[in-house]
Amino acid sequence: MSSKKIKNEEIRTASLLEKKSTRRNFLKGLSIAAAAGSAALTTGCIPAADAASTEELKLRWQEFFKKNYRLMTQEEKDATVARLERLSKLNANLDVQMGSYPPLDGVLYGYAFNITRCEGFMECVTACVKENNLDRKTNTQYIRIFEMEPGQLDPSTGDGQYYHEVPVDNKFYMGTQCFHCEKAPCTKACPTKATWKEPDGIVVVDYDWCIGCRYCQAACPYYGRRFNWGKPEIPKEEVTRRQHYLGNRIRPMGKMEKCTFCIQRTRKGRLPACVEACPTGARVFGNLLDPESEIRYVLKHKKVFRMKEELGTDPKFWYFID
Amino acid sequence: MTKLNYSCLFLLFFVGLSHSLGAASEKSVVDEIKNAEDRFDNRSVPLVEQVVDEAVLAKEEYQGGSFRVLARKAKIERYKCSSCHTDKPVTAQQGALLTHGDIILEHGSEDQGLSCIDCHHPQDRDYLEDKKGRKIDFDHSYQLCGQCHFRQKRDWLGGAHGKRVVNWAGERTVYNCTTCHNPHSPRFEKRFPATYSVELD
Amino acid sequence: MRALHERNLRTFLTDVIRWNLRGSLGVQLFRLVLVGFMGFGVYAYSYQARYGLSVTGMNDIVSWGFYISNFTFLVGVAAAAVMIILPAYVFHDPDFHRVVIIGEGVAVGALVMCLTFILVDLGGPLQAWHLIPVIGIFNFPSSILAWDVLVLNGYLLLNGLIPAYILYSHYKGRPADERKYRPFVFLSIFWAFSIHMVTAFLYQGLPARPFWNNPLMGPRFLASAFAAGPALITLILAIIHTSTTYKIDRSVFNKLRLIIVISAIINLIMLFSEVFKEFYFPTHHSISAVYLWFGMDGHNSLVPWIWTSVCVNLLATLVLAFNPGKNNPKVLLPACLFLFVAIWMEKGIGLIVPGLIPSPLGEVVDYLPTWVEFSVTLGIFALGITVVTWLIRAALIIEQNYSGV
Repeated sequence: MSSKKIKNEEIRTASLLEKKSTRRNFLKGLSIAAAAGSAALTTGCIPAADAASTEELKLRWQEFFKKNYRLMTQEEKDATVARLERLSKLNANLDVQMGSYPPLDGVLYGYAFNITRCEGFMECVTACVKENNLDRKTNTQYIRIFEMEPGQLDPSTGDGQYYHEVPVDNKFYMGTQCFHCEKAPCTKACPTKATWKEPDGIVVVDYDWCIGCRYCQAACPYYGRRFNWGKPEIPKEEVTRRQHYLGNRIRPMGKMEKCTFCIQRTRKGRLPACVEACPTGARVFGNLLDPESEIRYVLKHKKVFRMKEELGTDPKFWYFID
Repeated sequence: MTKLNYSCLFLLFFVGLSHSLGAASEKSVVDEIKNAEDRFDNRSVPLVEQVVDEAVLAKEEYQGGSFRVLARKAKIERYKCSSCHTDKPVTAQQGALLTHGDIILEHGSEDQGLSCIDCHHPQDRDYLEDKKGRKIDFDHSYQLCGQCHFRQKRDWLGGAHGKRVVNWAGERTVYNCTTCHNPHSPRFEKRFPATYSVELD
Repeated sequence: MRALHERNLRTFLTDVIRWNLRGSLGVQLFRLVLVGFMGFGVYAYSYQARYGLSVTGMNDIVSWGFYISNFTFLVGVAAAAVMIILPAYVFHDPDFHRVVIIGEGVAVGALVMCLTFILVDLGGPLQAWHLIPVIGIFNFPSSILAWDVLVLNGYLLLNGLIPAYILYSHYKGRPADERKYRPFVFLSIFWAFSIHMVTAFLYQGLPARPFWNNPLMGPRFLASAFAAGPALITLILAIIHTSTTYKIDRSVFNKLRLIIVISAIINLIMLFSEVFKEFYFPTHHSISAVYLWFGMDGHNSLVPWIWTSVCVNLLATLVLAFNPGKNNPKVLLPACLFLFVAIWMEKGIGLIVPGLIPSPLGEVVDYLPTWVEFSVTLGIFALGITVVTWLIRAALIIEQNYSGV
């Protein structure tokens, strides 16, 4: 008797689970969902799809499916650079000269920063922002200068947002940027190998290969990396036209970027913009593999140290005192 | 496959993978640098920019041999000094205009600072004079500055002081002492920074 | 239910869809609300896709925020299904065997949410194909994120395909061949531990972040997951027990309570261990903990958050441990809910954000999610709930029908 009751109960509730709702309810629900979905999707999910010419679409299609830069042949590199130059002209009516020149043989770039000579003028920062086409809207700066109290070498004890007459008596100034570590934790962390260390020691990012996961930014101990949270905005007359694919070309939104030791300059023998701009000569740059270079002189004769040496990242950026 | 088999397999898998995940090595780039003693041919680097300012061959050498230094004479407004400073005295009218009244001399400590003839040759005003009485050309003032500031000069020769002009490669051209330092008041003036960093919100 | 001989894979799929579009008015309204949240989430995401991640509260210092916090927590919930599978398959507990399919449904739902959270957090989601080996580059084994992609997708496959096979067999009216799926069940047990350890290693392996760079992260993740996950499953089982005919024995709840209590206590012990290390002799590496627990430089937005979380956690654990009311669901179920929320607070925002503050150069900021992050998160939670309800509804109908036959 009880088993039959249970079975009836089960049948009734089983049918409850399958109870037909009225067709009207169902259709109403479905139509609202469809309306919401389509409204959402059409409110600009696909960025800048308006008024694109067929040439531009073809270029963007080819750019979308290209390989990682490191795996490209020189012809493919030249082809992608040509496409990007053309896209820059079509999109923003901007004529740029983009290069894809490879690293120089027998060169390993090194950098030294004289904390006795830095007076906190921040000329390096403005030069870097201009040279590397950094986003003006968010005031992105690869270089940070800290006003430090003597007795501590840790930037966390310093003030990175000063804006008064410098130098202040009995304070010293220390700059940071990407240190281009030989054992970079960022290159190890990247899941798609969009960032790697070039043979000449520069840690670069293939902006088009990056998926924007920001794991490298979590991994960097020196606050060396910046992310393009929005679309970068640079006034047209201030854009530096001589660019390199891995360097100062205008980055797409949602990609990681960083100091590249001005790869577009240094691979052609020029000094990085920060070194050239420094009015006190606090910055030294050169080839670590050249025993007669200035950077080797500094490493040999000056008291040098590196930041957070205990982390084992092996950076190629030293600080020294006079 | 029993549970034990599975656990052993899993353990082996993990151990094997952890080994391949890169053993920590003690090698540093500093060792690599120390062993790099081959000469690097600076001229092999194709330069995109050349030094446009006039430069002269320095009278001393650095660790890489000879180098050039930016010329200064063209930057001195009224060089040659001997155009005025001859045996004849200067007329009062010219003197009123040209007596170097705009020069503020703040070199050294306040009461024991340098005077004009500490550096300038008293007879031949086209030259400077060091403490041993040698004539020093304006383009090679480092020979004079380096008498007192020998540490900075040594660093400047090596590259730890001052700066190269335009290029890190190619023939070495560096800034002269007086390109950056006003010889009459060499200390850099206080100024506002060129920009500032915004706080991230 | 259609006749047995008419059933095949196509009818399986159509039946599942049909069952999930039917129901009482209350159920339909619930579904509508979920669809509404999902729709608004899609709209918010489209706004984010257009203007970039600048519309979120994240910046170069707090580069991971609400999305990754929820991802971290939900991986734990997904891994916690193992706490149902383990007693069912290893200890052959018949009561747990009855609810195993629900645990796996929750795991699949949680994993879908995890993968969606990763996708909405990417700056370049269209470039996600770069991760696929052969056509892209997969930085395995160096990058822990690559490991995470692998283990999460593998776990999704395991927890998707095993129940799918079992349910399909039962749908066809025949018993599922245990010899076929038992090895994969054991694999999924080990895999569950590994997905959460790998997710923990994502943070643990970064020497740049001393708040995360400690050996206790992995085990702590497991402990908090095995407390929060079963707590959620308890709540879901209670809902199923009261609102459907699929009855679940009291012993399941009692055993789950035991699992939750042990894991929660271990979690609290590990928390104490971490707090001791940070504050007994504070070093430069403790500044993140100081920011979290006491605030720094006037920035103390997370202080009430973490203290609330820990107090509620402690209270809920005590209630569940001492069991006042002797297994009274009116006491235990709210305790489970509070424990779940407390662990979500501490393992989500309370872990990710302090790890990034202060910045590596010592700068302190505050983080607050924006409407975009809240909307997208709600949308993804709605998606997860939808997936879970769909799977569980289909599973329960099939199971009840099967045991009837």
